[in-house]
Amino acid sequence: MKERTIWEQIADSFRSRSIWMLHYCTGCGAMELPPTMTARFDMERFGIAPMATPRQADILLITGYLNTKTLRRVIYTYEQMADPKYVIGFGSCTINGGIYFDSYSTINRLDYYIPVDVYIAGCMPRPEAILEAFNYLMEKIRKGEADGWKRYRENYDWYKQNQIRSLGEVYVHDEFHE
Amino acid sequence: MVAAYKALFNLVVAFFLVLSLEGIGRKITARIQRRIGPPWYQNFIDLFKALSKHPFSNGWIFDFGVLMALGGTMATAMVIPMGSAFWTPFPNSDNFFVIMYLFAVGALGMAMGMVGSGNPWSSIGVSRALTQMLGYELPYLIVISSTIFHYKTASIHKLIEMQRGGWNLLVMPLGGIIAFVSLMGMLGKKPFDIATAPAEIASGPMTELSGKYMGLLHIMHVFAIFVEISLFVDIFLGGGNFGWYLVKFIVVWVLAVMISSVLPRFRIEQMIKFYWGVPLGLAFLNALFVLLGWTL
Amino acid sequence: MTNSMSNLVKILESFNPFVEEIDEKEIKITVSPDKVVAVLETLKANGYSHLSLMTCVDWIDDNQLELVYILFSWEDGGKFLVSTRIDRSNPKFVTVKELWPVARFYEREIHEFFGVEFEGNDDMKPLFLELWDERPPLRKDFDPRDYSRKKFPDREYEKDVIKEAKIFRGEING
Ligand code: SF4
Repeated sequence: MKERTIWEQIADSFRSRSIWMLHYCTGCGAMELPPTMTARFDMERFGIAPMATPRQADILLITGYLNTKTLRRVIYTYEQMADPKYVIGFGSCTINGGIYFDSYSTINRLDYYIPVDVYIAGCMPRPEAILEAFNYLMEKIRKGEADGWKRYRENYDWYKQNQIRSLGEVYVHDEFHE
Repeated sequence: MVAAYKALFNLVVAFFLVLSLEGIGRKITARIQRRIGPPWYQNFIDLFKALSKHPFSNGWIFDFGVLMALGGTMATAMVIPMGSAFWTPFPNSDNFFVIMYLFAVGALGMAMGMVGSGNPWSSIGVSRALTQMLGYELPYLIVISSTIFHYKTASIHKLIEMQRGGWNLLVMPLGGIIAFVSLMGMLGKKPFDIATAPAEIASGPMTELSGKYMGLLHIMHVFAIFVEISLFVDIFLGGGNFGWYLVKFIVVWVLAVMISSVLPRFRIEQMIKFYWGVPLGLAFLNALFVLLGWTL
Repeated sequence: MTNSMSNLVKILESFNPFVEEIDEKEIKITVSPDKVVAVLETLKANGYSHLSLMTCVDWIDDNQLELVYILFSWEDGGKFLVSTRIDRSNPKFVTVKELWPVARFYEREIHEFFGVEFEGNDDMKPLFLELWDERPPLRKDFDPRDYSRKKFPDREYEKDVIKEAKIFRGEING
């Protein structure tokens, strides 16, 4: 790994204390976020706040299984986010397909399509596990190890090839907007 | 030269005061909702993080709009008197109307830049923001006009001096309350955060803002809050020396935060109906009292 | 069977249906394909005006597809399941979009997932799947496991987790 300059180190420590997550949910994991946000677990105390659009967000939460239709939108969303950006994959569905391992429309492994910084195991992970993962991610960002966005840029061809292979084409056709 | 230093001091105070107050506001909201909440310096971290990101631009109108918004609001913050004639950077041009017009430059810059981003949510947000302005400006301006008529001056530091005998809030309580309700709309606090409603229109004007642009607009927002609350403190709470001014500023802010933390959001037409209903009527009543000389 | 429903069944006698009572308020009638539209029209005229669901079942051993229309009445809360069987190798049927406009979307869905053609409904764009390149996925001879393996590569584990678990449980010797 390259040495970071002093400015990058300072910026990284700021980034690790202020994580804006994109409020976008796929699959079952959406249910675990409200308790994480509200009074019982209160993730705002770590500086994690929900944001409404991908442009403003730092972190993309993939909260569960992704079918091919959603994956197209997720790739769009991920590419719209400003660098540096991070991804957390929730649950076994994003790790190896989970109970949807043999589904004809659900992908099996998320990190073939977009780079993932932290995975949380479980089906579904509890809010404690989610907070633990956030803390781990903060630690990684502070040390400069959360470099998924750099990997995506360097290995763009590889990611693109995987996306094309599973999706046919990464282009959103939407009859209701055409 | 002294004036320039005072103006710069204005900016420094505005930046640090309002950013920490925003953090404290988040903390207060969290405590009211029985959460722990972020530390008070959270907004500094958020701001510097936003400035450290690699943003996307949406063309030169967008860039220019953001800069114009920031510049216009900073210029307004520079002419605001902080509680007394001594802390007035430009004693000859702290007229209320000068401030209002300068302030509009910032708002228009924001509207222009955000519409220039080309995102439909931004356009909807901007149109909502302008509609909201129409709502709260009317009662506010009527109350301020009656104040100006009563004291026969529009210069803010002279208004402060005239209030030695008693705060304007006590002279015309009705007007003071209406001005505070309008202030809530100006700050964009909870019942009136229609323009940025994150759940409905994806944070409205800010939809396309990434990284540094978000940071710059956050700074603009900080100065805008400074201008709005300072005007209220100066015109209705009688200013005071620097310490008193700060205390009043903080009290007004905390009150606004506490009110906003327990209220849900209005819809746009409910907001207009609200502002053009009771507050507008009371503002006219207040103006009538002032014209008849029935002030306390 | 409630009174009004048994009256209706008597009216439907002329289509010589096979009537099955599922429970108090639910009756399944199976008719031959050419009578379905007439049955549906009769039911609609007699209060069963709500098309709750239209779906399809694949009977691969009989080489048949079963189309099911579920009708609901807002007057007495009863349900009629009208079903019919069509040929599986060349599945064709007529549309009921004139009776219920919402059937357009059900028919699109059935076309997409079972490959049934509906004559008269010319809007047969895919509704749920995007860029589908295989046989219709809800047919019984489609193997989702195979497709998933081909399209969505799995994670390769270096560790044999199952074996380790067996050793841990003492089922085999490590
Ligand atoms: S891992 Fe379990 S809870 Fe999570 S998306 Fe998959 S099935 Fe749902």
